Amino acid sequence: MEARKITIEPITRIEGHGRITIHLNEEGKVDQSFFHVDEFRGLEKFTEGRPYFEMTQITQRICGICPVSHHLAAAKACDGVARVDPPRPAKLLRELLHMGQYVQSHGMHFFHLAAPDLVLGFDADPAIRNVFGIIGANPELALKAVNLRRFGQQIIQRLGGKRVHPNFAVPGGVNAPLSPKDRDEILAEFDTMVGIAKVAVSIGKDWLGSNKELASVFASFPSNYMGLVDMEGGLQLYDGEIRVKDADGNFVAQFKTDHYLSYIAEHVESWSFLKYPYLRKLGWPDGTYRVGPLGRLNVADKIGTPLANEELKLFKQINGGKPVEGSLYYHYARLIELVYALERIAQLLDDPDIMSNDIRAYATHTQLPSQGVGVVEAPRGTLFHDYGTDENGQLTRVNLIVATGNNNWAMQTASGLVAKAFVDGTKLTEGMLNRVEAAIRCYDPCLSCATHAIGKMPLEVTLIGANGTVLDRISR
Amino acid sequence: MPRTLVIGFGNIDRADDGVAYFVVNALRRRLGQGILHEDETGLEELGAQIDSIFLVQLAPELMDVMAVYDEIIFVDAHVYENVATLHCAPVFPEFTPATFTHHLTPEMLFALLKSLHHREPAGHIVSIRGYDFDFHRSLSADTEAVVEKAVDHILQLHGPSVMDPALD
Repeated sequence: MEARKITIEPITRIEGHGRITIHLNEEGKVDQSFFHVDEFRGLEKFTEGRPYFEMTQITQRICGICPVSHHLAAAKACDGVARVDPPRPAKLLRELLHMGQYVQSHGMHFFHLAAPDLVLGFDADPAIRNVFGIIGANPELALKAVNLRRFGQQIIQRLGGKRVHPNFAVPGGVNAPLSPKDRDEILAEFDTMVGIAKVAVSIGKDWLGSNKELASVFASFPSNYMGLVDMEGGLQLYDGEIRVKDADGNFVAQFKTDHYLSYIAEHVESWSFLKYPYLRKLGWPDGTYRVGPLGRLNVADKIGTPLANEELKLFKQINGGKPVEGSLYYHYARLIELVYALERIAQLLDDPDIMSNDIRAYATHTQLPSQGVGVVEAPRGTLFHDYGTDENGQLTRVNLIVATGNNNWAMQTASGLVAKAFVDGTKLTEGMLNRVEAAIRCYDPCLSCATHAIGKMPLEVTLIGANGTVLDRISR
Repeated sequence: MPRTLVIGFGNIDRADDGVAYFVVNALRRRLGQGILHEDETGLEELGAQIDSIFLVQLAPELMDVMAVYDEIIFVDAHVYENVATLHCAPVFPEFTPATFTHHLTPEMLFALLKSLHHREPAGHIVSIRGYDFDFHRSLSADTEAVVEKAVDHILQLHGPSVMDPALD
């Protein structure tokens, strides 16, 4: 067979950005809307042939935003390949690392990306609808927000040696215990950080309380929801079983993460590099689902920390006990998880096992070829790593379903609903762009794995007439 | 004596995207400083007249580090044909919209520094054209050829007072 070389242009490789095309029908009304992800990563193919145990370091390079999630999902998949169960102290330390990432990621998203929409309004001039609007209104709060992110990053650095790409989790456990000094220094800041998170919850909740009508209709749609839960149905972010509920809150499935391929398939569209996962038993597109903070809180019955659990009870009241549908409620759910992550850090640090030196288990004899599945809840949703190896431990198959991929259908649906509500005629308006931006931002997507000072990561919206001509284009 | 912080950022696993790592280490060699290994940022050994660090991304907590310097020089890769292979420009505080990303631009970091810490150091960006963004850790020949020139430019920006053995 003749070999073919496919060249991916650099700009396509590294400039992750969102592109939306809106197609009008003969009557000039919105017919269809597509959310494209043009970035090509190809990591699943590139890593074939690598030793499986390298994946904890390789895969976190997918992203500078949620490297810890990839690091931990890879470590869990490697545990499976090596058929080794890490000791309890190692699991606690991995979860502590994970919570550090949650604090920095959720804190950053709220203050930097979400709060300007909420506090200043969708129609505010983009020149002021940003974090500086927040700083202008409350500079002390902005400094606290930076401090919250620093706290999370420092937990990652204390455990993993680095703030972005840590070297910590290994097949069978972790490579270093927690020092008493680090434990005490993290705990010393706990009350301050919880105080900041409470302020954030108040801001989010107050805004949603004052804008109930908007929140109930804006990018609101029924769907299935997915997230990890423990055996009692409690929220889990590091480990557990995958639970799926439908739009009415009925159980659709609950299964062990190793069995995910029996439950989840991926649909491919020719116009996007990002696939569309869906539940096999419901088929495409009925089996599409939402993940991330809203998905997790919609499937969880409770949260194992007191402050976050009280907020969850309030969250459950929003739609009378049924799943909450409005995309804007992602922000509230994210803040509840921020509180949970902080409280969970204190729980973990109070556990005597976390100071143990029993941090790694070794396989007595590794049986190869092998396979392993690792699943964690990344801040933006459920993350799957699935590896298969040959008899030398070299990877023969890598399947990654990333959180943003799991929400691909949801982001397309959300942006399409906004387009139908706000596009009329042949011109795109700033107000429409603001709202599309805000709708997608609810899902906190991660579309990029490299950043550049020159060149932005724009959102570009193109309006296409019934005859295929481009009627208007707007970008930011 | 003014102090300068050189902040290189990029992804060393994506070939030319990590050019700043090579520039930072070339600078450190010129200054007689130890090089950064691939898992080091340089944040733990600050205190020289010219300090240099390498990061995957710019983040808001960098403000606390930047606040004590008189001059900040960012080093990064770029991908544009219509921008010079070695592109140097001043950086001023400016809001740059972050549609989705958690990353910050140099201008945004400067704007945050000004707003929250009331500090406005001199700022520059040194960008080097990248040609290869595949999954490996070496530079393309065209990008590698610009590394030492970038160091020359950084030292010129800092001024003649700095000790540069290569200039002796």
